[in-house]
Amino acid sequence: MSSEMQRAKRHLETTRKMKEMLPRFFMRMMERRFSNEPLAWCMVGVPPELLKAFDLLWEWPENFGTICASRLVAPKFIEVAEGDGYSPELCSYVTNTMGYCKLWKDRGEFPEESPLPGGMGNPSMLLGSGFICEPRWKWFQSIATRFVDVPVYSSDPLAPPYDVDPKDPRIAEHYLDLLRRDLQGQIDFLEKHTGKKLDLDRLREYIRLSHEALTYWRDTLYLRKAIPCPMGSTDYFSAIIPQMYMVGEEEAVDFYREMYHEVKARVENGIGIVEEEKYRLVWFGLPPWFNLGFFNYLESLGAVFALESTYNVGDYFEVDLSDPLEALVQRTWQRAVRMHQYGTEAMPELCNPAVFGGFVGSRLLEEVVRDYSLDGAVMHLTRSCRAVSFGEVHTKNRLAEMGLPSLIFESDMTDPRLWSDAQIKTRVQAFLETVDKSKAERQKN
Amino acid sequence: MNKSLTGLARAKYIAEHRDERVRELKKESGRPVVGYLCCFAPPEIISASGAIPYRLTGRPNDTVSEVDAYLEPYGCSYVRNIMAQGLKGRLDFLDGLVISHSCDMIQRLYGIWTYYFPFSYSRLFNVPHQLTPWAQDFFLRELNFFYESLEQLTGNAPDRDALKKEIEASNANRALIREFYRLRLENPPLIKGSEMMDLLLAGSVIPAEEFTPLLREALEEVKNRDPWKPANPRLLVWGSILDDSTFYRMIEEAGGKVVADDTCIGFRVWEKDIPLTDDPYQGLKEHYFVNFQCPRTDRGPGIQRFQYILDRAREYNVDGVIGYIISFCDPHKLDYPDLRDYLKEADLPMLLIDDNYSFTPGEGIKTRLQAFIEMLK
Repeated sequence: MSSEMQRAKRHLETTRKMKEMLPRFFMRMMERRFSNEPLAWCMVGVPPELLKAFDLLWEWPENFGTICASRLVAPKFIEVAEGDGYSPELCSYVTNTMGYCKLWKDRGEFPEESPLPGGMGNPSMLLGSGFICEPRWKWFQSIATRFVDVPVYSSDPLAPPYDVDPKDPRIAEHYLDLLRRDLQGQIDFLEKHTGKKLDLDRLREYIRLSHEALTYWRDTLYLRKAIPCPMGSTDYFSAIIPQMYMVGEEEAVDFYREMYHEVKARVENGIGIVEEEKYRLVWFGLPPWFNLGFFNYLESLGAVFALESTYNVGDYFEVDLSDPLEALVQRTWQRAVRMHQYGTEAMPELCNPAVFGGFVGSRLLEEVVRDYSLDGAVMHLTRSCRAVSFGEVHTKNRLAEMGLPSLIFESDMTDPRLWSDAQIKTRVQAFLETVDKSKAERQKN
Repeated sequence: MNKSLTGLARAKYIAEHRDERVRELKKESGRPVVGYLCCFAPPEIISASGAIPYRLTGRPNDTVSEVDAYLEPYGCSYVRNIMAQGLKGRLDFLDGLVISHSCDMIQRLYGIWTYYFPFSYSRLFNVPHQLTPWAQDFFLRELNFFYESLEQLTGNAPDRDALKKEIEASNANRALIREFYRLRLENPPLIKGSEMMDLLLAGSVIPAEEFTPLLREALEEVKNRDPWKPANPRLLVWGSILDDSTFYRMIEEAGGKVVADDTCIGFRVWEKDIPLTDDPYQGLKEHYFVNFQCPRTDRGPGIQRFQYILDRAREYNVDGVIGYIISFCDPHKLDYPDLRDYLKEADLPMLLIDDNYSFTPGEGIKTRLQAFIEMLK
């Protein structure tokens, strides 16, 4: 199995340098563990800027899942969870953590199999989020039931369904009331369990820094409209890490600024990531973290991804920072409204207080196919994550109406046992032949 | 509708021919029919608006290949089955559709279904996962919006008095259903689990005012039954949606007696009255949101969230618990290990049946049920 799994080859200098930046950043956090400060395990959807304003020490079990996946140790933890009664159908980020926690509790020490030295620390609180799926808050509910008896706060942002008008003031206020009071609930919880008052000035500054970083990141992604595409998916799926965990850090601003300039220079000089760019594709779904080299395999066939739907930071950050709490609320809401306008029939849960993005919007598809000169789509149907992969059939239908073929293949984001290398590669090759035919057909018309 | 049948036989007939009566009613009354999935969008509001509420159910083990063109294979088999019923034309009597955000999959079913096959009226009833004051306020507003929205279908503006009357009518049925459950406290229980399921299914597809006489008839019939042999073992069924009595019959054939349950179309809906509050929405919120024990709602960490199951198991003097979970049902699957361990501590054995809404392979499920029931004996 492991011989089929390939580590990613990145194309950008900036993303290659992450090998130094990320460990430096994460080690700084890990070193603080020894100071007995409160440690929160957090779920994506919790605004990192808020955590930073509380100077809170944090860890992200979802990120831990991706690291366990990339080091091929996730199956060990997942098997332990399955032995404990957790269904193999459940989110493999969840089962990875549940297995890890069980070994930790059974052995009385952090599992030596952990790819991070010392594993995840002993949390004093859990900050969950119901954004995007139910397993995310159920996960922390179970951890606090089975393994660590600590307080939990799960935020619960909701977005309007696709056929309700979010610009109707009554509807807007309906959702904004929930968002505002939920954020205040989260702050009250943090003040209680950290013993600190929220410093609004610090929060404002971190949001400013965050938006500066994310604006560079957004503009970098726009540069991928260029032909040849200057940056690939291996760069993209590395570069999302600061977006998710480091926004509010000066380092993140520097990182995305440098990246922007590097990608811009590549565009100006016509530098792509493959010798001959034959196919420009869009990626839907979570990546197979255990086999990011899969993207390089596609590149070897002349196929590049100019766009990825998952984690996509999107295009809206202009919010008034004078009231930083309202700024967080408006950032959440305005993004949800923007995505709503694009069509959220297949993925309505896009109301996200942090900056995790995603899209399957039917109207947005038309725009990106045009702007990114796309020839087709590859969709990863992750058995254990229906939240992100549900809607792919619909997206495939919509793209077919535009004359674009799609490939949906099945595997998982964390568990390499579900990767079928020969079968997937055979399907990819057949798919690219279909893309050839469809391109020829479209050129004829 | 076959009028010669009465009581339990009639309930069974309705459960097996679920759309027959609603089609007749629609023809007779000209009232529109609104299909609903899950109770978060209360059927009492649909009735109060002048429409006929009809709970959508699937057909276990039915073919669902029609939906592959719209929904992923890795999706809740119940959700896929429901949409398949629509695609097969079996729900052609529906004038409207309301789907609540009860779980991820059901919420997403709404978007895909109505995108491809629009109804003249459709609504997603959004439901928070938390029970915070602001989540409860949100739910209250959703109740208001939902009632208002039905005016576009029925032409009737919200009427609180009409709503109160509907709540009273459904509470009258709750009182009768509690009587049935009281009969199950005894040993032997005078009604089988499969019979109770048929009754409750019938009640979900006929109007409340027709359900009342049916319940009365069936109650009389059950009370006059000759006592059976004492039940051994007595069982509680917990889990995700069961909208068919097949599973209960399998348990009965294996020698067990289901005397209590904690499932969607079960005691969860009927155990308590909807509080009769001045503002009827408050009562509906309490009943269908705050007190409705679905694991999709966060009741905080800790095993106390299962205390009501243990209380019920003790009240009904059960010997074991059978869990039934449909594939890909995340809320129940994530709760299972915690519940299993909690029941184990209370010396209550638990068997989990993981099914894809087909009850197949039947022999495999029966063998597991038999082994569990033998162990309990």
